[in-house]
Amino acid sequence: MPVTYRLAKDFNVAANIIRAQVAPNQIGTLVVELSGDIDQLDAALDWLRSQDIGISTASREILIDEDLCVHCGLCTGVCPTEALSLDPQTFRLNFGRSRCIVCEQCVPTCPVQAISTNL
Amino acid sequence: MKTIADINDKIQQQKAVVWTVEELKARVAELGVAKVAKTVDVVTTGTFEPAESSGAVLNLGHTDPPIKIRQCWLDGVMAYSGFGAVDLYLGASQMAELGGAWDSPDPEELREGKTRTVQRERGGGHVIADLIAGKPVKLRAIGQVTDCYPRASVETTITRDTINQFYLFNPRNLYQNFIVGVNGGDRPLYTYLGPLQPRLGNAVYANPGALSPLLNDPDLNLVGIGTRIFLGGGVGYVAWEGTQHFPLQKRLPNRTPIGPAATLALIGDAKQMGDRWVKGCYFKGYGPSLMIGIGVPLPVLNETVVERCAVQDAELVAPVVDFSIPRRVRPTFGLVSYAQLKSGRITIDGRSVRSAPLSSIFLARQVAQELKQWIEAGEFTLTEPVAPIPGDRAFVAQDRWGAQINLE
Repeated sequence: MPVTYRLAKDFNVAANIIRAQVAPNQIGTLVVELSGDIDQLDAALDWLRSQDIGISTASREILIDEDLCVHCGLCTGVCPTEALSLDPQTFRLNFGRSRCIVCEQCVPTCPVQAISTNL
Repeated sequence: MKTIADINDKIQQQKAVVWTVEELKARVAELGVAKVAKTVDVVTTGTFEPAESSGAVLNLGHTDPPIKIRQCWLDGVMAYSGFGAVDLYLGASQMAELGGAWDSPDPEELREGKTRTVQRERGGGHVIADLIAGKPVKLRAIGQVTDCYPRASVETTITRDTINQFYLFNPRNLYQNFIVGVNGGDRPLYTYLGPLQPRLGNAVYANPGALSPLLNDPDLNLVGIGTRIFLGGGVGYVAWEGTQHFPLQKRLPNRTPIGPAATLALIGDAKQMGDRWVKGCYFKGYGPSLMIGIGVPLPVLNETVVERCAVQDAELVAPVVDFSIPRRVRPTFGLVSYAQLKSGRITIDGRSVRSAPLSSIFLARQVAQELKQWIEAGEFTLTEPVAPIPGDRAFVAQDRWGAQINLE
């Protein structure tokens, strides 16, 4: 089913695909950021549910294991929103959760595997 | 001026004045070189960085009947065994193998219905760090049957307390300066500096700059063979010049090199080390390595020592190297200063590029602080180098492709 097409056509909802895992005859996963009129968004979500599409609105989060992190800062160079940054004085890693768009580029970048997602 | 013996007397009486190199830099700016040189006895430097030319020597102790090990795996990571019967060398960048002779299922685990899960993204660095952390490590070995050593194989579990020797012997550590990696191509690259994003997406530097031990003693006047150091939370020594030691690198007027230069081979008892200072690491698409904290004490013998240690990030530079050309000599985008690198942005070809470190400046400071405390407490004295590190090593390349036409 062309899900994002229907969202746009029927509900005027823009779907920004952040991550997708879709294969023929298998259950796929689509991580999308939806933007549009609030009522139409609700209607779009209702429609998705009616199509037997499981929706998880609990936002995916990046988790940093403080015990593993060595504050090298390698992740800060690949973080597009600068949610990950080094404190200019202490050089400790800062994670500004509100700026994170969960693009997950930091996850494979971390050399000590201290970064993961909650899902 | 002072001698190392004078300083050691003060250390033993717990009267030595010890500053971290950052404290020294701040006070030189305030008081000037001459005043500071009269006050301070020892300056501590530190770094915490990946060093893939690291490894551990292990002696297992003999089994009964004894075995002459010819092939050996520790948690699936191959260790070199081409010397005495139960001597091993485990390299930090050796990758864990999947399948193969070592990887037969454990009968006990099969009975319990457990599946063997060998993590792909592991290597010698992780096994070394696990042993240092006191964790058990599985060993499988195949021997050559001889009259002296009749046993053909052995499987056991070892810890750092159940083996004889366990010391790190790192052929190349403590790079005096390094490069800055960028990617001018159009696909992501997975390098020993971590992922480099295409079209100059990011820049990675790997040296802590003004904190770095050998940038504060640029001509290696204070550090030589036999110098006692902080290595992974224990006491170590400078064993030799490091591999690829290149002291003839071009230098600025302040004597610091403009790129990779001196290196040191280090040795130290891993049984004394702590897991806080030694970590296995893995660079996606490149391989495993070892991150280690190293601290070097610099004795303040004269004013020149203070002058050299006063060097600031703005006076230290590194070359920006394009990894998209996979050749030995890669094109560069010129030099940037460590002050620019640490600001988080550098300018390349007029473009602003995010720069991220790979060495932990946060932990490098803690190394310098820890070493300072050891010296202040009188637990760590300084050593006179037994012999100097050579200052005239050339940097030889192996192969030269294409026709060698000499136009002279």
